[in-house]
Amino acid sequence: MNLYRIQAVISKEWREIVRDRLFLTLAFVVPAMLMLLFGYGLSLDVEDIPFAIVDHDNTQLSRDYASRYTSSRYFDFKGYSQDESLLSKKLSTNELRAYIVIPENFEKNLMAGKPAAVQSILDGTFPARAATSKGYITAINTAYSSELLASYLSKAKGVSAEIAAEALAPVSVSVRYLYNQSLLSTWSIAPKLIMVILMVSPPFLTALGVVREKERGSIYNIYASTVSRAEFLIGKITPYVLMSVVNAIILWVLATFLFGAPFKGDFLFFLLATCIYVMCTTGIGLVISVLVETQVAAMVVTAIATVVPAALYSGVLVPIPSLSGQAQIIAHALPAMYYTNILTGTFLKGTGMADLWQDVLILTLYAAGLFLVGYSLFSKRPRS
Amino acid sequence: MTATVQMSEAKASASLAVSARGFSKRYGKDTAVNRIDLDIHKGEIYGLIGPDGAGKSSFMKAVAGVLSFEEGTLQVFDTQVDSEASAELIKQRIGFMPQGLGLNMYPDLSVEENIDFFARLRLVPEKELTSRKHRLLGMTRLEAFRDRPMKNLSGGMKQKLGLVCTLIHEPELIILDEPTTGVDPVSRRDFWSILARLLREQGITALVSTAYMDEATRFQRAALMYQGKVLAEGEPDVIGNLAQGTMITIDVDSQADALQTLSRQFEQIEAVGSRLRIWVDEADAMLAEQQLRDALAGFTIQHLECDTPGLEDVFVAKLRQEGNVVADLPAFEAGNNDKTGVAIEAHELSKRFDDFTAVDKISFTVPKGEIFGLLGANGAGKTTAIKMLTGIQLPTRGEGQVAGANMSTAAQLIKQRIGYMSQAFSLYLDLSVSENINLFAGVYGLDSKMRRERSAWIIELADLQGYEKELAGSLPMGLRQRLALGCALVHKPQILFLDEPTSGVDPLGRRRFWEILFNLARVQNVTILATTHYMSEAEHCDHLALMYAGRIVADDTPDNMKAAVTAEAGGLLEVSVDKPIVAVGVLEESQYKGAALFGRQIHLWAPDDQTNRSRITSLLADAGISVLGMQARTLSMEDVFVYRVLQQEQAREKNAA
Amino acid sequence: MTTLRIGMTRMRVMTSKELMQLLRDTVLIIFTIYAFTFDIYWAGSGVSLSLNNAALMVFDGDSSYASRELTSRFREPYFRHVGSLSHSRDTNDVLDKGEAMVTLDIPEGFEQSLLRGEQSTVQMQVDSTNTVLGLLASSYGQQIVGRYGLEVAMKQQGLSADGGISGPILDDRHRVWFNPNQEDSWFMSIAELLTIITVFSMMLPAAAMVREKERGTIEQLLVSPLSAFQVMFSKVLAMTLVIVLLTSISLFLVIGGLFGVPFKGSPWLFLGLSTLYVFTTSGLGLVIATFSRNMAQAGMLIILLIAPMIFLSGAWTPPEAMPTVMRWLMMVSPLHYFIDAGYGVLLKGATFTTLAPQISGMCVLGGLNFALGLWRFRRQFA
Repeated sequence: MNLYRIQAVISKEWREIVRDRLFLTLAFVVPAMLMLLFGYGLSLDVEDIPFAIVDHDNTQLSRDYASRYTSSRYFDFKGYSQDESLLSKKLSTNELRAYIVIPENFEKNLMAGKPAAVQSILDGTFPARAATSKGYITAINTAYSSELLASYLSKAKGVSAEIAAEALAPVSVSVRYLYNQSLLSTWSIAPKLIMVILMVSPPFLTALGVVREKERGSIYNIYASTVSRAEFLIGKITPYVLMSVVNAIILWVLATFLFGAPFKGDFLFFLLATCIYVMCTTGIGLVISVLVETQVAAMVVTAIATVVPAALYSGVLVPIPSLSGQAQIIAHALPAMYYTNILTGTFLKGTGMADLWQDVLILTLYAAGLFLVGYSLFSKRPRS
Repeated sequence: MTATVQMSEAKASASLAVSARGFSKRYGKDTAVNRIDLDIHKGEIYGLIGPDGAGKSSFMKAVAGVLSFEEGTLQVFDTQVDSEASAELIKQRIGFMPQGLGLNMYPDLSVEENIDFFARLRLVPEKELTSRKHRLLGMTRLEAFRDRPMKNLSGGMKQKLGLVCTLIHEPELIILDEPTTGVDPVSRRDFWSILARLLREQGITALVSTAYMDEATRFQRAALMYQGKVLAEGEPDVIGNLAQGTMITIDVDSQADALQTLSRQFEQIEAVGSRLRIWVDEADAMLAEQQLRDALAGFTIQHLECDTPGLEDVFVAKLRQEGNVVADLPAFEAGNNDKTGVAIEAHELSKRFDDFTAVDKISFTVPKGEIFGLLGANGAGKTTAIKMLTGIQLPTRGEGQVAGANMSTAAQLIKQRIGYMSQAFSLYLDLSVSENINLFAGVYGLDSKMRRERSAWIIELADLQGYEKELAGSLPMGLRQRLALGCALVHKPQILFLDEPTSGVDPLGRRRFWEILFNLARVQNVTILATTHYMSEAEHCDHLALMYAGRIVADDTPDNMKAAVTAEAGGLLEVSVDKPIVAVGVLEESQYKGAALFGRQIHLWAPDDQTNRSRITSLLADAGISVLGMQARTLSMEDVFVYRVLQQEQAREKNAA
Repeated sequence: MTTLRIGMTRMRVMTSKELMQLLRDTVLIIFTIYAFTFDIYWAGSGVSLSLNNAALMVFDGDSSYASRELTSRFREPYFRHVGSLSHSRDTNDVLDKGEAMVTLDIPEGFEQSLLRGEQSTVQMQVDSTNTVLGLLASSYGQQIVGRYGLEVAMKQQGLSADGGISGPILDDRHRVWFNPNQEDSWFMSIAELLTIITVFSMMLPAAAMVREKERGTIEQLLVSPLSAFQVMFSKVLAMTLVIVLLTSISLFLVIGGLFGVPFKGSPWLFLGLSTLYVFTTSGLGLVIATFSRNMAQAGMLIILLIAPMIFLSGAWTPPEAMPTVMRWLMMVSPLHYFIDAGYGVLLKGATFTTLAPQISGMCVLGGLNFALGLWRFRRQFA
């Protein structure tokens, strides 16, 4: 291993990158742009659900009940209707995501101490959104039920409404949200976006950079010189790793200052872990570049191998524990999940090496493994 | 006894740079190199000559340690190259420049940055690097272009830069794979003389390949390869003696008919411009001439000249004698015989890119059925001119008529009437031969009956029977080029544009290619405009325009051009000496500026008179060199070109000063 | 008439040329087939967006019948016991390490308080690094505890003898349409198919165009009588054919076959919409190609467009919850319309007429993309 030779490869690669102005600009602009777009747009909160109410009862109680929905920030009330078939049509054209049907005799039954059935009809196209909406509806209904019961009890037993309410809820829950007390969605998303963007952009930079040299034929300089395989590979990817680390810092700044995500951990530890992660994703690009011959294939293979896992198996959109079977295996086989642990640890939890050393170790082994694969597949004396 | 043998073998191997025994290289089922034995001595320029696909590149790559091989042994210096690890051992002592014009360099990096990269990769100390860079850049006259991005260099400059990069770590053996392919003659001469000087000064061994047979004379020893085998090996003369015969050039009335008559008796015959060149299997010139005259009874011969055959002729003769019969051309349907009209007329065409003028007010006229050559060095503006005429680029100023239509108003009409073959033979390499033909047939809107007809004709024309299903990318360059020509002819165009058609194509391919063009022009009355910097091609043209720095500086027939140069410069003198490499240095330093080495002979510009003869003899005698012979030579187009371009360059330098 | 015939011939040969070139790149073909089959299958069968099996650790300070009863109600599918804690102070530790997502802390004397009719409080700590999941977990937890408390109270108040609930309460009945059992595989497999279609329809034509530029074959086409439209549209046609063919395989084999998504609408309408979508998106890819000199530039530009398209067009994030500016931006994403239209046909039984707005949206975008692409294409060679 000779540092001068590595340096020679690095500076050549770097100059080539710098000379392609558009590419250089894109290499830095694309990650930052993605951060901005996702930071402002990627909200998983389910809010402003467009909904309508069918009130077959049309009494004071039914309107009182309906007001619980119309005043909720989770629901965007689109109006009353008597025509259920019209509403179901609107459900299928995405104008509504849910509607609630209050039955006839709603007030009469409840006043008589009998239950009343309330029906909610939900659009199940996006199951996660349906589940959340269902949660909101259940919460509103439960609260309303307790009130009804309490007032019924207070009338029946002749106690005050407060005492009745207390008696009906002997167990209370105090919930503490750790790490993200105010439940701000951007706090949770912004750090993970660093992971997503660093999963996608470095492999593209690397794969296209290496395959370009292969397609053009200048790879023969490398074959014919005394530079060793390891020196070449290290020199070739170092500029891309460095660019990606700079990008990581830019993304970190955007996440903390622009989106206000709290950073409670040690910055140096974060930087170290990020370098290792970037080496992993760069390594993916390297392995792809050794395997394919054309730039077209490099591009498509990289897209499938990075964009899809970054979305599905990394824990940003889909929580890892919710994955089953082979999806769990895929998630564990990719570096993204471990880096997500590190990100949430350093940003929101304020944990460091002591708690996250396993993730760091796995990423290190991963990076080493990829380089070993790249190293052994790359030959300076190929068969053709 | 055995000990002595071993001793002498050891001594022999100590003087060897490369030694191959039973070397074979296969790609899948295809054998590229088939059991060859070769020895290259330290300090010599060893040449590998032969057509494309002969196995030259594979062998060179293996010697450079960048390609594995299947059979035999390969010793480079004292190392048996048999694994990636052993190959690494020799790499510090080797410099390798792969094939392709500047393909191994980095287009966005400057000249200096390219050199620095190669040097640092080889751990050349910075101080040494500075002095070596200075010396090598000076020798290659690239000093002024240190900061220019490599992509903006001309082809010749790119190759010189490649040479500098290859030499920067002072290797003991340099391997140059077709370094002069695609380079104009001036730059080629320059390249060879720089190479000769470097080798002379530093005692470097060189293994160099070329597809230009006439460059074989540049080597001390050479191997002629064909289809993975060595046909002949030794000094260039040995290769020159492979086949015995005489080359006869004649000027005859009704050229096409004469050609037809002669080709019944003489297989090796070609039309060169208005002349015919015929190989006669008879070393004695007198007897050969008689044979020819007998065969041409009834024709009026205007002029006849006998020559000793060049290497290329010998090579073709040898292959023919071994039974490699070249397939006949298909029939060309006669076009209308209207030779009076004008096919192309350019009037003050100019093209400016941001800050430089690529083409500067060129005007010329091409009559129907003529083969018109646009000559010039790399970067003279030929390609831009052809791109404007074909409608790929819009001219900044000026106008033109192509195939009877105005360039700026009837572009679509012109497109139907012209065929175009670009520098890179724009074929789809991942499509098969017949798929390529069908594609272009469809693009030009041929119906299925026509398509089948033309397709069969093209296959026959390009001699591609049996290759229909092969991918275009797997064809040797020569076949690929003829396929591209076929594709450009699929719709029977009136005018054919060829941009650098034969750069880097071997002699066999080139011959058939020009035979086709000749028939197209003479029989089918197709007008042909070709750009080229390959001067033996220029000889085939009816009319030439020489471009320099975007302008046309000469516009005449080849014969008139030669006559004009002879009148101006006197003539060309060929000097044979015992130490040619030293001698050329001596002559360069003297008043004989154009001195250049051709194998063991030196060519220089001087009238063949007593003054010059005695001056040269005494000049060389002072340097301890004895002159073996001296004779005047007839000019070739290449000589004309070199003379004219150097003249322009000098004028330019004078203006700049 | 002959002009028309020649035009047709040109389109045919150019299209089949693109197809053949595509088929020759073996690595690419293998990956394409993988993406349209296995990738979609894995995404559909393994990925769920709901809160499943949130890791729960309990510190039971009471160890009574009541505390065990409450703990046992935290069960699948929402929660999963991963262990018990012996000290209440350990809760933060297991959350920090990510061993649990929720901890439940039941105080000593819990049962006693209940029996005496006093109020008692259990503590839940929730890891809210993922806000949506944190909120869901706490809301499920509160429901479970509330329901348990209510049942205990009702029994005590004599309102219910058997532990069931009667009285004036709301009987909460949900009906989920279009995906009654809320199968994640239905949503996921379709979402993944849309993603894959997007990736390929953007990349393949762009790459084909940039390759012609890099290799110089474009010149041969420029000197021929082919029009700019024929050069560009033939690429789109070829890629559309391949992508729609693979889409139909994926649709019938994986989505319909393996995941049993009921095609409420016509699958042929879905394929028709896919064709329109691929056409529109390819136009975008070709516009990118006219801006890039080499594949590296094209690759970065594509990423810049494709990532926001995939993540923000509505499959992953509810458009209702996005800021207005972003919602406007997404109006120019063809995927935005295709998501509505695609799910509409497959799950909701939407028809051509109900999808008129989406279809016209894609048509307009496609037309604009092509116009821009053609204009740029002609300009760059002038």
